[in-house]
Amino acid sequence: MGLDFSIFVDHGPTILSGFWLTIKIVLGALIIGLPLGVVLAFARRSEQWVLRWPAVAFIELFRNTPFMIQVFLIYYVLPFYGLRLPADMVGVLALAAFGSAYYAEVIRAGINAIPEGQFDSAYALGLSNWQVMRLVVLPQTLTIVLPPLGNQTLSLVKESAILSTITVQEMTMTALRVQGVTFRPFEAFIMIALLYWALNEMIAAGLRSYERRLTGRRTNRANTPPLDTPGVPLMAGR
Amino acid sequence: MKFDVSYTIDALPRLLEGALVTLQVALIGFCLSVTLATCLTVLRNARPSLFLECGLGLFVSFIRGTPLLVQIFLIYYVLPVVGIDIGPLTAGILAITLNSCAFVLEILRGGLAAVPQGQLEAARALGLSTFAQWRKVILPQVFITSIPPLVNEFTQVLKSTPLLATITVVELMRVSQQIFSRNYHPVEVLLGAFTLYFLMCFTVSRASVFLERRYEPRRA
Repeated sequence: MGLDFSIFVDHGPTILSGFWLTIKIVLGALIIGLPLGVVLAFARRSEQWVLRWPAVAFIELFRNTPFMIQVFLIYYVLPFYGLRLPADMVGVLALAAFGSAYYAEVIRAGINAIPEGQFDSAYALGLSNWQVMRLVVLPQTLTIVLPPLGNQTLSLVKESAILSTITVQEMTMTALRVQGVTFRPFEAFIMIALLYWALNEMIAAGLRSYERRLTGRRTNRANTPPLDTPGVPLMAGR
Repeated sequence: MKFDVSYTIDALPRLLEGALVTLQVALIGFCLSVTLATCLTVLRNARPSLFLECGLGLFVSFIRGTPLLVQIFLIYYVLPVVGIDIGPLTAGILAITLNSCAFVLEILRGGLAAVPQGQLEAARALGLSTFAQWRKVILPQVFITSIPPLVNEFTQVLKSTPLLATITVVELMRVSQQIFSRNYHPVEVLLGAFTLYFLMCFTVSRASVFLERRYEPRRA
């Protein structure tokens, strides 16, 4: 069988509309998930068990279950409690919740990587808790965690494909529709595979150039700990 | 509607059956992918060739750059078109194997880099055959240092199995969909499946510590 190029032309716009929705969903999940991840990371480090305990439960529950069942559960639980949201919104929320658990672990690892002496000297200078975090810890953490945070975002792009199972019209869903109309699965799926691939490679290239700049500026690499230590998987999903 | 836990309990026997299929699929896929990745790692290091290196690089980049769901669809829907008719289960296991293989390749590459060069030189100096060098000296060390990422990879495989429900493989996710489409109590049933997934993944991820301790004394 040969390639039918007319499919690329005829159904390209449909696929591209899905591509655009995929980007919007991931951005939405990033905007909600990242602050939530920061909050969870701090809650998990807290000495108050009332804060720590729910954060641990949330993070472990979301990290140790498949994203697909989380999506389904959220999709059916919300109406159960009378909250009816469109599928797109449910998708963004589910992706944000899923992503935040992984973001939290990356941020926590980043904070833990700051040498104890930094905390000690900051407190010795008479800074308050909030000042220590804002002026000493977070600026140092940020440079360490940006690459793994980028990697997590990259895997959110891939996980967003699963939202097609709850009828969100993102890229994978549009490909399924094109396949249903044309009966040409290869053209439909290779088209979106290439688009996902290009998008991810673009994000990855940005991350790599950022990392190169980081290592160029910083002569002391001993400060940047390996973040791919066990327990902090670099990739959230497939 | 009220939450009624009896629906979860009623569904439990069938959910457990589904969980068994899930575990089987994950185990088969993971074993195949580790075997395949090990062979490829040995091959790329024993007989370095530009062709293989480029091929593997492209393969890893493609697998890591596209969603597994799309890879599953590509295999499940496209293979029959070119005349290869395999069932959903085989297609699903094939997709998971290929997907996981790319990640295991990267893990083994890292593990191999951690083996000191002196080990290889010593093995060669002892006159071991190439096969014995890999079998007795290099691979055991690679696998022991790679235990944590490999266990993590297995949980990733386990967590990717529900995707096979989309191509009608009757595993835990599909079973729960079948049950709640009949009794209209999705929350109770899905919560049961959710718990089972959590128990499986959490147990496996904690096994890493156990395995590491088990193999620690053997480390040089």
